[in-house]
Amino acid sequence: MFLRIITESFTRTPRRKFLTGAALALGMAVATATLTVALNVGDRLAAEFRSLGANLLVTPKADTLPLEVGGVDYRPVNAGAYLPADDLPKLKQIFWRNNIKGFTPFLDVPVGAGHPYAVILDRDALTRTTLIGTWVNHRVEIGGGETFDTGVSTTHPWWHIENGGRWFDEGSKEVVVGVTLARRMKINIGDKLSIAANEHSEYPQVTGILTTGGPEDDSIVAPLFIAQLLADEPGKFRHLTVSAVVKPDDAFGRRDRTKFTAEEYERWYCSAYIGSISLQIEQALPGVEARPILQVAEGEGKILGRISVLLWVVTLAALVAAGLAVGSTAATSVIERQKEVGLMKALGASNALVGAFFLGEQLLLAVLGGGLGYVLGVLLAWWLSVSVFGVSAPARMIMLPVTLGLAIAVAIAGSLLPLRRASRFDPAPVLRGE
Amino acid sequence: MFWRVLGQLLNASRGRLAVALIAIASGAAVTTALINLNLDSERKVSAEFRTLGANAVIVPNTAKNGEYTYSFVIGAVRPPPEVVPKDDRVATPLIRESFLSKLGEIPSDKVGLAVPYLYVIANFAEVEGSQQVILAGTWLDQAPKLAPWWKITGEPVTDRNDLKHCLVGRDVARQLGLAPGSTIELRYSDSSGNRDVAFTVSGIVSSGAQEDNQVIANLAAVQKLSRIDGRVGAIQLSIPGTPREVEKVISQLAYAYQELYFRAVPQIAQAEASLLPRIRGLIFFMVALILVLTTLCVFASMAALAMERRRDVGLMKAIGGSISRIVRIFFTEAAALGLAGALIGYVGGIFLSRWIGQRAFHVAISARPEVLPIVVALMVAVSLAGALPLRLLGRVRPAEILRGE
Repeated sequence: MFLRIITESFTRTPRRKFLTGAALALGMAVATATLTVALNVGDRLAAEFRSLGANLLVTPKADTLPLEVGGVDYRPVNAGAYLPADDLPKLKQIFWRNNIKGFTPFLDVPVGAGHPYAVILDRDALTRTTLIGTWVNHRVEIGGGETFDTGVSTTHPWWHIENGGRWFDEGSKEVVVGVTLARRMKINIGDKLSIAANEHSEYPQVTGILTTGGPEDDSIVAPLFIAQLLADEPGKFRHLTVSAVVKPDDAFGRRDRTKFTAEEYERWYCSAYIGSISLQIEQALPGVEARPILQVAEGEGKILGRISVLLWVVTLAALVAAGLAVGSTAATSVIERQKEVGLMKALGASNALVGAFFLGEQLLLAVLGGGLGYVLGVLLAWWLSVSVFGVSAPARMIMLPVTLGLAIAVAIAGSLLPLRRASRFDPAPVLRGE
Repeated sequence: MFWRVLGQLLNASRGRLAVALIAIASGAAVTTALINLNLDSERKVSAEFRTLGANAVIVPNTAKNGEYTYSFVIGAVRPPPEVVPKDDRVATPLIRESFLSKLGEIPSDKVGLAVPYLYVIANFAEVEGSQQVILAGTWLDQAPKLAPWWKITGEPVTDRNDLKHCLVGRDVARQLGLAPGSTIELRYSDSSGNRDVAFTVSGIVSSGAQEDNQVIANLAAVQKLSRIDGRVGAIQLSIPGTPREVEKVISQLAYAYQELYFRAVPQIAQAEASLLPRIRGLIFFMVALILVLTTLCVFASMAALAMERRRDVGLMKAIGGSISRIVRIFFTEAAALGLAGALIGYVGGIFLSRWIGQRAFHVAISARPEVLPIVVALMVAVSLAGALPLRLLGRVRPAEILRGE
């Protein structure tokens, strides 16, 4: 009987049911889409922030003070400690390896540079500058037959080779020259340079002019192996910058890790806080100190925090709008049927039974509409994410029960008030047609 | 007559209209808040980006002077003697300090903060052998404002004329066993001999970057030690505004002072430029979705209203009312509903945008009057679109209604 009345109600007035169902589906689609995007937006924005460059600096633990300004080290080659480049693949074997988006070793060598034969003819005529040995897009074997491409193209995306040139080939004796240095030494693409440091000299070819907005503009950037040859430190580097996607520090992430219980330590270690990633890097590479570059790390955390609050508030607004739309259509569908309520009551139905009929109907609609809404919402989220971030947001299965629950709650909340009013009706005037 | 009928109708279906009005008003409130937010978000997020430090720097324009230099974005270093032949050191071009007072005259909405830097290389006098260190001269009252990420243990130096105190980097402190209160002696050497200076360590700086390895003192003290009077190596600027506005200020400055070289800090400009359109895009989509939902809501209430009014329409038709006239009454009703909802919602939206601004940026977002006409137009359009089901009433046959079917 109960089921029959509900089925009848659906088949007799399909258009009204369609409207409520459509409102539910659309409202829930918006809810699913906004929630899916909001859940992913943190990760997406954190990835965008990697264009700020590296957020971790790795240096030898026992070292003399670097003479560093703007990221370039002016120490002579015989001072200070070096690190072995062979260890670097271990960075991609730590717990948070997938969060390591790139790393770049640097070896800065004070050199004299000049046109070919200057080294032989007149060593004093060489221009003093710094040669920065590094990787541009270096393929690292990370074990298990897998490789990982990393270098300044990942960690320093704003380094820019001017038109007409190209980056050096990492296996060849080629270099790129900073724009200020190139102008002052009148160097052009294709020129050969002579570069001397201590007893060593190299004669690489210039393949491009580099602009960075930093001190590299006044330096020569070369493959790491050339810097190693000039410094006479084969297989070594001086410092490493790491670009990692991190979770912004919260109260837990900022706590003193020496005071953790074993369980808290485990939780901290398995969260992508910048502190735990630094610790894992120090454990993977012997003799190093890894520290967050606070300018990037702190600023990023703060801005991300603000933006995600903003987006959650906006999401909340969309959710409220969706709830209102669904609730008001549900309310309307109940108001419309006061006559039916009157008839049912005249035939002896109790208020509870009438309520059960309507709620059962709304429940069925909510499940159907909510399910459809979930599917639409996943598509909408995908489209939104692609058009805003250029990357699709993965659908989360957890959203299905959330959406259905929300749909049911809103639909029932929307019909409760008119139902209570309907239950107070005296059936007589309704039946008389007043 | 028209208005009287309208008034009667509005009065008769108050409950139904209230639902529609609530829907429109809440839609209008959320839309008002989001449009306000969208107009302000770029500015607010840009302001957040200023906490990342300087977004522009000034260095001497070496190409212009034909002089060769060791000048860097961060400043001019006088490299250690063994790296540079003696005569080469003199050629380092610097910026006149008087330029800073010219910058000070520029209104603060163009240049928020300007901090000079001069870097020299000094030796620790009492350390065996030669332990070199970079000695940075700056305005210690301003520098931490431009670099809010500096963590200073001990006391910051708050007076730029204080020649006695300095800050030391974390690694310097660790290597030399310094703590706030210790004294350090630094020796500076050039062609005219050695000069010593003593500082009391006021605080220890950690930043995770170059400051960890530096001794940072007031500009005047470093100038006095190195005898580089009235000159600085570089100036860091914090220019408020969106990336486009910042670029404009930089090009204006570059045009006015051609002997200097102005440039935006590329990584900050790039991160900002990649993030802002994404945030704007998200908010835009949310506004669009909310409008669709509001339309739907009005549509539902109006459809129900149409059902309820079949009898009224039948009666009107029976006594000779034309369809167009009847429909006009209903659409006027919808427009009035949209207008009322928009006005109520606009007021609500003002409070909502204040609250959102407070939550997200800790600054209230001011409501803009130009949003009102936009919201009114949107809401009237939405309620007219929602009122489309009322057109169905044109199909009502008076005979059926009068028969009581």
